[in-house]
Amino acid sequence: MKRVLNGFKNLIKGMTITSKHLGRHAVTVQYPEERDKIPERSRGIVVLLSDKETGELNCTACMLCMRSCPTAAIRIEAPRGEDKKRHLKSFVVDHTICCFCGLCEQACNFSAIKMANKYEFSTLDKNDLIWDMHKLQEMGRDVPYESKKKKAAEKDETREAGKPKTASGDGEKTEKKEDQPEVKSDNQENSPGEVK
Amino acid sequence: MSKLKTQEFMVNMGPHHPSTHGVCRLMLTLDGEKVVKIVPVIGYLHRAIEKICENRTYAQCIPLLDRFEYVTSMSCEYVFADAVEKLAAIEVPERAQYLRVIMLELNRIASHLIFFGTTVMDIGALTPFLYGLRERELIMDLFEMTCGQRLTYNYITIGGVSHDIPPEFIPKCREAVKIIREKLKDYEGLFNENPIWLARTKNIGVLSAETAVAYGVSGPILRASGIKYDIRKNEPYGIYDRFDFNIPTYTHGDAYDRYMVRLDEIRESLKIITQALDGLPEGDIRKKVNPFTFKPPAGEIYNRIENSRGEMGVYLVSDGTTKPTRLKLRGGSYNHLQVLPHVAVGGLVADLVAIFATFDIIMPEVDR
Repeated sequence: MKRVLNGFKNLIKGMTITSKHLGRHAVTVQYPEERDKIPERSRGIVVLLSDKETGELNCTACMLCMRSCPTAAIRIEAPRGEDKKRHLKSFVVDHTICCFCGLCEQACNFSAIKMANKYEFSTLDKNDLIWDMHKLQEMGRDVPYESKKKKAAEKDETREAGKPKTASGDGEKTEKKEDQPEVKSDNQENSPGEVK
Repeated sequence: MSKLKTQEFMVNMGPHHPSTHGVCRLMLTLDGEKVVKIVPVIGYLHRAIEKICENRTYAQCIPLLDRFEYVTSMSCEYVFADAVEKLAAIEVPERAQYLRVIMLELNRIASHLIFFGTTVMDIGALTPFLYGLRERELIMDLFEMTCGQRLTYNYITIGGVSHDIPPEFIPKCREAVKIIREKLKDYEGLFNENPIWLARTKNIGVLSAETAVAYGVSGPILRASGIKYDIRKNEPYGIYDRFDFNIPTYTHGDAYDRYMVRLDEIRESLKIITQALDGLPEGDIRKKVNPFTFKPPAGEIYNRIENSRGEMGVYLVSDGTTKPTRLKLRGGSYNHLQVLPHVAVGGLVADLVAIFATFDIIMPEVDR
């Protein structure tokens, strides 16, 4: 008898909580017609950013994003021109293997690559997800961004922090050469860990 | 009339069984409705995270480790970043320490809310699953606002955190804390004294303290068995020694206690978040570490933290190069899966679901 009463008591208690939800209106977002607001920082597709005035790509082909990518989703081709500087020839992002970690954006010192808060890029063909330079630039045209103009002072700080604690002063140069053969050349300003 | 013969029957539970939360396969030998033998079969989600990390720089390991235990990704990132920082003697700025604690505890709550939702759904109550996930959504919004992702954050980096919180974070976080604290009362009203819930969980799957210790069980399951052990208190890491919180402990070690421990833990985590938000200092969020050339000194370290599922540990060997030589991950779920046959044999199949659900095993953590 006691158990039956107890059961009833709890049934009423549970029903009270449930009935609180009865009068509320639905909160479902009817997706294709209406959309939730996506936060500014949300990491969606990878885009390349262009200079707001000239319309040229901000990318300087320093290859830092390519090297920071854990899944090797970024492929850059940038042969050296006659002026011994790298010129961007092709920049391909494979969205099929991208893991959307955002390390490329963090590595970039020139506000050239960004993970925009766009998320609708489904297609019927897998190959359509491999985007070349022009497509990436086109997608990045309307993406707002703040230009990261790296100051010299800030760079020095990075360089100090980047030094391994154990490496001795002499051994450091040779060790770093092994680490980053591609960047260590004429294009010194591009890589933060460089020793001049 | 001759007597009918009975025989044991073997049945597979999983790997696609909805209540195994992932791809766990349990080979059950049944005698009628009674479970005679359980053999867990693991390995369906093996992704070789440990091996892949040996070919990645320390900064590149973190997005991979997010996938180790994806319900509480923050703790996977934290345990690795903390190990590297201890090895390389990097001092993390104060603000970053506080932000880390806020995120870790928010993630713990999110995980326990999923536990609440899925457990009650497995046992038969469908609506509370939506309640649990609705409140979790508030936390996911906070994460997305801060670091841009809802599940695999890549937020805690070596030397600090990757982004500072946006200005609207603190009011929203306080609001979320308030809402979740209110909603907890609803959850408790629905279940704690509900006769059906009690019948399904009370005295089901009792795990004694001795067995729990013998199998290396940790986390909420251990505390439900009556052992007051929480790495946050017993061996404080980060800045956990600055916060005032209790360790909820129960004595019976049955399914009901395991459920209660987690609900109480949500409340304790809310307490920590409130204190951390009050004490959040201004300042740097990251000690700058070059992700390409960062080399911790040669050495080895085992670092462990209290995850929502138990002890999560990282054993890291460095030879002084930019890549780890060996990385071994320890997740609580592995031990919990081993102790499952011990607890569930002799019970009914329906109880096995209740036991499995309250163990809160997540398969990527077992298989890695």
